This record gives sequence, C-alpha cells and structure tokens, in this order.
Amino acid sequence: MTPLHLIGEFFRNLTVAIPLGVVRLLFLALLIGLLVWVLRLPKAETTPPDGSGKPTENLKLWAGLALGAQILIYAFV
Amino acid sequence: MAGKLAIIDYVILAAYLIGTVALGLAIGRRIKTGKDFFLAGKSLPWWAVGMSLVATDIGGTDIIGVGGAAYSHGLAVGNFEWIGCVPAMIVGAFIFIPIFWRLGIYTIPEYMEKRFNVGTRSALAVTWLIFMACNLGIMLFASAKMMNVLFGWDETACVFLTAALVGVYTLAGGLAAVVYTDVLQCAVMIGGCLLALIIGINDLGGVGGMLESIREIEAAKDLPEGQMTDLILPADADTPFPWTGILFGLALILSPAYWIGNQAIVQRSLGAKSEFAAKASYIWGALLKNLIPVIVAVPGLIALAKFPELADGDKAFPTLVAELFPAGLRGLFLAAFIAALMSSVDSYLNASATIVTNDFYKRFFNPQASDTRLLTVGRIVTAVLLAWAIGFAFIIAKIEGMGIYAIFQTLMAFFQGPALALILTGLLWQRANGKGAFLGFIGGVCFSIALYALSQEGVQKALGMQPLFKVPAPFLFYSIWAFVVSLALIAIVSLATPPESDEKLKNVVWHFKKGATE
Repeated sequence: MTPLHLIGEFFRNLTVAIPLGVVRLLFLALLIGLLVWVLRLPKAETTPPDGSGKPTENLKLWAGLALGAQILIYAFV
Repeated sequence: MAGKLAIIDYVILAAYLIGTVALGLAIGRRIKTGKDFFLAGKSLPWWAVGMSLVATDIGGTDIIGVGGAAYSHGLAVGNFEWIGCVPAMIVGAFIFIPIFWRLGIYTIPEYMEKRFNVGTRSALAVTWLIFMACNLGIMLFASAKMMNVLFGWDETACVFLTAALVGVYTLAGGLAAVVYTDVLQCAVMIGGCLLALIIGINDLGGVGGMLESIREIEAAKDLPEGQMTDLILPADADTPFPWTGILFGLALILSPAYWIGNQAIVQRSLGAKSEFAAKASYIWGALLKNLIPVIVAVPGLIALAKFPELADGDKAFPTLVAELFPAGLRGLFLAAFIAALMSSVDSYLNASATIVTNDFYKRFFNPQASDTRLLTVGRIVTAVLLAWAIGFAFIIAKIEGMGIYAIFQTLMAFFQGPALALILTGLLWQRANGKGAFLGFIGGVCFSIALYALSQEGVQKALGMQPLFKVPAPFLFYSIWAFVVSLALIAIVSLATPPESDEKLKNVVWHFKKGATE
C-alpha cells in the first residue's frame, strides 16, 4: 500500500461510516444555505438598474424557485 | 431499425434541419466584425442566452450518455443535471458572471491574464482548447452512433453530414447564430425528449408500473433495493456515482468549474446585452435545468424496464425510440437528438475558435489586428477546427469498452479541478498571485493525469499495486484531488512570493479591499 492508498482508505472509511440520512441532510444544507444567501442579497444586485420595481423583475424570486425545486427533489428522491 | 423511418419522419427532420441552417445563415448576414462574431455584438437577450446555456450543455452525448448511464447505473446520473448544475449556475449568476461581463473580456483565459499573468492565461487556454477540440470529435461520434442505430446509416457519412450542417451556420454567424439556433434547438430537444418520457411511461402503465419493473430488475441483478432510483447512493456502492463523488467532486468542483469556467458556456453570457441580462440568463437556465433529468434520465429507466438485456447502455434511448414511437414522432425525436447535438457542437466550435483567435492569434501574433481581420481569422479557425473534429471522431470510434459519457467526463476531470482553483482564488482571494496560479494549475493537472495513469489496470499490475479507487470510472475523484492539490499549491506559492498590486486587482476580484494584501 502506498501513501496514496492510506490517505484514500482513511477518507473512504470516514465517509462510509456516515449514515445516508445524514448525507441527505448535508445535500439539503448546501441547498438551503444557498437559498438563504440568495434571499439576503442586496436589491441592487438582483434587480435591473432601470427596472420598474415589479417583484417579477427581482432575480431572487426565480433563483428561489429553482433552489426550492432542488430542495424538494433531494428531500424526497 | 433502418426500415422503421417513414417518409413523414424524413420530412420532419428535413424541415428542422433546413429551418436551423436558414436561421443561422440569415443571422450571419449581419456579422461584420470580430465582436459580432465572438460576442454577438453584446446584443443577446436573457431568455435566448438562458436557453442556449441549457441547449449547449445538453448535447447528443447527454441524451445518449445520460439515458445510457441511467439504464446501466440508475437515476443517480440525474445528479449531473440537478445538484451538478443549479447551485453553480446561481452562484455564477450573482458573483462571477457580472465581473466577467463588466470587464468586457472575450474569454476566461483573458480574465486570467488580467488577474494573474500571461503564463496562466496560456496554460488555461491550451488545456481548454485541447478539451474542446477533443469534445467536438466525441460529439460527432455520438451522433453517428445514434443515427446508425436508428437509420442503419453509415457512421462515416453521419459524421460528415453533422459537421457540414453545423459548420455552415457557425462559420456564417458566430455566437449570434449559435445562440439563436440554440433557442430553436432547446425547444425541439425538450419537446422531443418529453415525448419519449410520456410515451414510455404510458407504455409501462404509469410511473408505478415503471417502478415495479425496476424493482424486479434490481432483485434479479442482486442490487440493493432503490439503487436504480435513488439519487444519493452509499460511498461504497458499486456505481460510478457514490454520494462522495457527487457532492465533493461534482457539486463543489466539476459543476462550478463548468458553469463559471467553461468558455463554451460562459461566452454566451458575455454576449448578453447588459449585466442584468447576463445574470438573468443564468437564473433562467437554472430553472430549465430542473426539468432536464426528468426528460433525459428517466427514459433510460424506462428503457431498462422495457429492454433489460441490452448489452450496451448507450443503445437504450435509441432502442426506446425505435421500438415505441410511431411514424412521424420518430422524426421529431431524431430532430430533438440532432438539435441537442448541433447546439453543443456549434457552441464548442465557436468557443474554441474564440480562444485560438483571441488568446493566441491576437495575443501573440497580431495584437494590432483590426476587428474585421479578427472576423476573417475566426472563420478560418472555425473551418480548421471542424476538420480536426471530423478526424478525431474516427479516432474515438476505435476506442472500445468505455461509454461516451465516461470518456467525456474523464477528459474534463483532468483539468476542471485545477481550473476551478484558479477561478476561485482569482476572484475571491486577493492574496493569490501569478506565480502561485501558474504552478498550482500545472501541478494540479499533472496530479490528475498521474491518478488516471495509476488507475489503469496495466499500470497497477506492472507496479504491483492495488487500485487507488474502488469505484468504476472514478473521474469525479480525480477532479476532487486535483482541485485540492492545485488549491494547496496556489496558496503555498502565493504566500511565499510577493502579492499583486492594488492597481492590478481593483476591478478583477470580488469585493476588492484596498491594501488587503500589504
């Protein structure tokens, strides 16, 4: 066994020991964390500079929808 | 199979092909300068760019390859379109794409020179060019394989036909032709694949019927129940898609590297009419991406339920279409497949021509070249790359034993991890400098190639060593480790050498802080 094998074996054993339920939570945490970050972005970064102020022009809405779909998919599939 | 296409199928297919080429040529009449050719004159609307992003990403390799991977390994391949796309597209939309658009760059390597140095720019440009040029050949080969299964057409003729169709409008219209034909192709592709899904599910008696058949097959093959339909698979599962590879390799490395660092992808947002349009295009693309695994991967499972004894997973989707679709709809599906293929080939063709013209010709041979001259050079380079792609397609045809998707992913894994390390440190860490970037990138690529070599059976036998990875085709793990090694090298060398000046950094990093590197 080379050092590469030992390193690989260490990480493999570590990750195999994590229950799949916890792994699913990891996936969901990544998606939910990203959703929270998007929702907290300043308005200037998510709306057009010459926009009319309509909610549908705010990219937070659409990014939130895309991430929301992902959260549902990884929660149930 | 060859006798299963009716006249109506050919009519539908011909109408689609003529329409696409005509649209591309019409747009080509308005192309007058290099900026028109490479960036569509920065005139593209968000909805067109977004659809083009999706169409470019879903190529013939994906329809055949993802369907084939789902047939062989289950729905976990859908991760590549879900967590492997959506998060990275959203982060890209709000952090990376706005900076690239504001800088007015034509290529990602061009950004690397502004941020680091010409060495880093050139190293990245060379690796992207090699990858994209090889990928062009792979995509042409994939189309030939599909058309051979459905029509019984000669594979050589198919390679030449596809190259000719794509070449005509890409040569004429550059990025604008590519994007607007991609819009048409995206609609046809989604429509055709949706049809495969609906017809297939209906044939199996609904989703429940499909799942019942899948469970029986899992039992017959002695697989854990759910392995063919779960997205999250155990780290030690006998699959190329264990969760560790999906999360650490795909979601956190390959996906961001692709959506914020792949020239063929990012270039369309650089042609957007405004910074907001560039951002919105990525969000729109992310929304569409939610649909893709449903219409591309699930048909692979349908094919498994219907035809469980296929020897080659890549024949799953074509067999499904050939056996289940009535006349007329086969033509529509074939148009969808060719649309997917053409939308990727044209993007990679235009992107690689942009890199050659901008990062090599203009940068090293003729910095004073006029915009008109660059247009001419761009078109010549496009033609040369097309010829190369045809030749490489025939080389790929001789490689046996690997699925198309695995070949494509392995190539990407060699350098996507190091490329991502460059982009992340470049935009997010002011202390990263040119020496660190160059050595980190080269070191990372060499490391991933070494891992690949050490994973080959022949090499392992010769060295008397056990396999490094316990999954088949461990391309996701090459990218993880190459990324880690690159990041470490960039950090160590940057910290050991002087920082870049504030003057150089102020417009090229996210949330620049004056004096932060002193």
